[in-house]
Amino acid sequence: MLSTQEGLAIDDTLPQSVALHHSPPILHLYTFVPSVIVGKYQDIEAALRLERCQARGIAVNRRSTGGGTVIMGPRVVALGLGINVDYPGLKKGVGGVFESLSRVLIHALQWVGIEACFQPKNDLEAAGKKIAGLSAASEADNSLLFHTSLLVDFDVSLMLDIMNTPLVKVRDKGYNCFSQRMTTVREQLGHDLSVESMMEAIQQAFEQEFGIAFQEDRPDPWEQQTIQHYIQNRYTKREWIFSHKHPRSRMGVGQLKSQGGLLEIYLSLSGASIESVLITGDFFSTSAQIHRLENALKWTSARPEHIEKNLKSVWEKDMIYGVDLPTLTQAILLAKENQVRL
Amino acid sequence: MAVIKGYNMPDELYYHEEHSWARVDGKKVTVGMTDMFQKEAGDIVFVDLPEEEDDVEQGETCGKIQSRKWIGKLVAPVSGEIAEINEDLEEDTSLINSDPYGKGWILVIEAEDEDDLADELENLIHGDAVSDFIDKEIEKTEAEKAKA
Repeated sequence: MLSTQEGLAIDDTLPQSVALHHSPPILHLYTFVPSVIVGKYQDIEAALRLERCQARGIAVNRRSTGGGTVIMGPRVVALGLGINVDYPGLKKGVGGVFESLSRVLIHALQWVGIEACFQPKNDLEAAGKKIAGLSAASEADNSLLFHTSLLVDFDVSLMLDIMNTPLVKVRDKGYNCFSQRMTTVREQLGHDLSVESMMEAIQQAFEQEFGIAFQEDRPDPWEQQTIQHYIQNRYTKREWIFSHKHPRSRMGVGQLKSQGGLLEIYLSLSGASIESVLITGDFFSTSAQIHRLENALKWTSARPEHIEKNLKSVWEKDMIYGVDLPTLTQAILLAKENQVRL
Repeated sequence: MAVIKGYNMPDELYYHEEHSWARVDGKKVTVGMTDMFQKEAGDIVFVDLPEEEDDVEQGETCGKIQSRKWIGKLVAPVSGEIAEINEDLEEDTSLINSDPYGKGWILVIEAEDEDDLADELENLIHGDAVSDFIDKEIEKTEAEKAKA
C-alpha cells in the first residue's frame, strides 16, 4: 500500500522513463492508503470537504492526469501505465488510446467473471454502472501516462461524507444515487475477490492484448532519483496539491414538473464545461438509461446547442417515461441558470 | 482555405507535427491547435497557458489542453516571448472547437529575430507537405484500427 505522494510520483516517472531512459512500457499495479485524489485541473476546495478528509484520516492529493475525483484505498486497484503512443497495437488519438486500454481492462474483468463495456468517453461499465475510471496525459516526447482506478470494493458512505457533491444536499437520496451509478467487482460477482487476483488478471490481459510478457522489476537509480524529485517538488507541495490552476467550479439544481413526474437535475460545471450531471426525480426509467444520458454530457461544453446535440446523440423514445427531450434539455439549462459556487 | 480529407488546414499557416499551427505576421506569430486536433480531442474543457513574457523554444511544451479526461500538449511552433494570450478562452474553451483558426487562437509568440524565425519556419509543415502530413496521420490511425 503506497502513500499518495509515492504512488503518484512513481506513476509520473513511468512515461519519463519510457521517453528519456529507453524503457519499454511500464505497468504499475498497486493500492493507495485510504485517500482521495483529484484531477490535475480540478478545484480541490470545491470538490472535497477537506475538514472531513482530515477528521477521517483520508490523505488528499492531486494527480497529473485529467478527470475528476477518485477515492482510493486498499480495495481499489490503482493502475499507472507509461507507454509510447506509437507502441504497436495501441490505437492512435485520444479516443483510440482510451479504447485500446479499456479493452485490456474489459478482458481482465471477463477473466474474473464480469461482463464490462467501454462507456465513451472514459468509463468502464458493468451492468450499466461505472466500475472503473480512466484518465491520461501526454508526457515527454511521445510518451503517455495512463491512469485507472478499478473498484474491487467501495465505501459509498465515505464518498458521500468527504466529497462536496451536489448529493450532499440531498443526503437521503445520496446512497441510492451513487449505488445506482457505481458498482464494484464484489457486487458484480456476488462474492469477494482479492485485489491481488484482480491485479493478476489485469497483467495477463495486458500481456495477451499486446503480445508481451512483463518482467517484475524495481526502479533503477535514475528512476529512484526521478521519483524522489516528484515527491519533493510536486506531491508534498501545497502549491501543487491546492493549485489554483483550474476552471471555476459551480453547481446548479434544476427542478421541472413533467408529465412523467418531477425532474431534478444536479449539474456540476467546470468552467464552461459540464463535469457531471445527475438526473433524478419521480419519473420512471432504468438506471442504465439515465447513466447513458448523464455520460453523454460529461466533460462536454455546457452551451445549450451542445447539450441538445449530445443528448440527442443517445436519446431514444421513452428513455424516461413521460419526459421528452426538450423537457429534459430545459431542466438541465435551468440547473445551469441556477449555478452557484460550491 | 484547404480542406484535406475533411480537415480544414488553411494554406497560409505553418504546422507543427504536434498539431499546433502558426500564423506569421512580421515577428509576431499567432498560435492555435489544428482542426484535426480539435476533432480528435473532442470538447476542450481547460487550457493551461504560460504567462505573458515567458520565453519558449520551438518544440517545447508551453501549455496543456484538457479534453475529456485527457491532458494534451500545446507545443510551441516557434521560439520567442509570449506576447499575448487569448483571455476569451478563460471563459469559453469551446472556441478552440468552434473556431480553431479564428476566435480559438491560443497565444501570440514574438520572435526575437526575423531571420531566426524564417529558419524555424523551415522546420514546420507548410504548403504541399500539409496534405502528406494529414495522410500520414490518418494512415497511422487506420493501420492500428485494422490491427484491432
